[in-house]
Amino acid sequence: MKRNIFALFALAALAVLTVTSQADALQAQKAFKEMTITVTVTPSPVPMGFVKPSPVAPPPASAVAEVTRLLADPFDGPARVAFAGAVYDVAPGGGMQVAQVSAQPTPVPVQFVAKADPSAAFLHIVPHTPAVSVPYGTTVLPCAFEVFTFYTNTYSLSDWGYGTLKTGAPPTFPIENFPTVSYLSWAVPDFGPTFKPYNNSGPPGETTWTGAKNQSQQHCIDLTIVVPNSQSAGIYTATVQYNLYVTLP
Amino acid sequence: MHDVMRRSTIVLAALLMTALPQISHASTTAQGSAQINYKIMPSIKAQVVPNYQSSFGPIGGLGSGSTPAAGPSAVLGGGTVDFGSVVVGYEYLYKYAAQVSVQTNDAAGFVVYGEGATDLNGSAPVPVPATWPLQQTLFWLVSSASNTAFSPASTFNKTTTGVPVGVNGSNGINYGAGAPSPASMIWSNPSSGNLSQGYDYELRLSGSIPISQFNVYIVYTVIGN
Repeated sequence: MKRNIFALFALAALAVLTVTSQADALQAQKAFKEMTITVTVTPSPVPMGFVKPSPVAPPPASAVAEVTRLLADPFDGPARVAFAGAVYDVAPGGGMQVAQVSAQPTPVPVQFVAKADPSAAFLHIVPHTPAVSVPYGTTVLPCAFEVFTFYTNTYSLSDWGYGTLKTGAPPTFPIENFPTVSYLSWAVPDFGPTFKPYNNSGPPGETTWTGAKNQSQQHCIDLTIVVPNSQSAGIYTATVQYNLYVTLP
Repeated sequence: MHDVMRRSTIVLAALLMTALPQISHASTTAQGSAQINYKIMPSIKAQVVPNYQSSFGPIGGLGSGSTPAAGPSAVLGGGTVDFGSVVVGYEYLYKYAAQVSVQTNDAAGFVVYGEGATDLNGSAPVPVPATWPLQQTLFWLVSSASNTAFSPASTFNKTTTGVPVGVNGSNGINYGAGAPSPASMIWSNPSSGNLSQGYDYELRLSGSIPISQFNVYIVYTVIGN
């Protein structure tokens, strides 16, 4: 009787281990996509005020006397001519408009052939705000993009900041790198309003959502970006890698 | 340019020196010196060389399952910035796409603008609609060996102030008395000289772009300050 109980426990333990190890082994990355958002940080407005101008110094007495004398008798004294010294662009009495010089070399032809994405049936991204100008502080980007997922078996969608690692990767604004917390956060409003900073430790990242067998779903991703005062104005990119892991049959 | 104009005005003071005495003192003669300032008109020359370095061409497309390669229209030192076949939904970087060279004697420097003569024109097959927005699809950044398909870049815009010349702007953009939009500025230099700057292009293909061949002409315009 005791021997049978031990055998039963051993069998149960073996069954549990088998199931869990199979679940791990049968997960495979079906596709991955990068979503890039161009972030332009605009400078803070410079505080401005009006200052009373300094009083203008009166003209020298000699100049006043000279003008008065010439007004009284314009032909008095030696002959004078007007000339274009450093004061005038052109001789007094006339004006002219000078066009800016310019040059336009031969244009550069650009071309490409867009081919269909074979993995788009399982994972694709629909961008809505691929570029954004943000001020310092916090900016909310509702439905910055949408992610579509589908598979014929159960699956999960995960994400992490592209190029990030648990250690050693150089931090770049706005996603940065672990242990610095990302300045870019995400939420799936269909699932809840809570924003979460993007994982910036590289694989395995964080779970965005999971799906059932043959379940297609497409959800908006809301973003918030925080620009700290220490960040220089300029152009940055935030790239997030989305990964579709599927359970193989 | 005003400084140059100021420096180079020709004043024919000598004419006045000889004419005025006849008005006020017709019976006398006068001698004097003439100050002559002269102007050297500012000039600007510019050239653009596509595929300007031997390792030009596309990289990227991470996750697409294919390795990008320059199309047949791309040749060293000329031709087309030809990304070849690219997969919708992915991002690419075209290294050493174009080099802009400027020669000017304008002490105030110059500004270079770069913008599309049109949006992206689809062909083979012609999609519906036939064009795709250039903005947020094609980007530019200053060339660097460390650039990747995800490096920060600025978008090219379709011209809003000019009229394309030739088929799809193959002969440039006519701005009339105007100028390119300030948003299209890609380079500003505050002095004269003989200068060059290279640019890479980024291609970000939205998932909804039609399957087709697309073309556009990027027009560079250099204007003196």
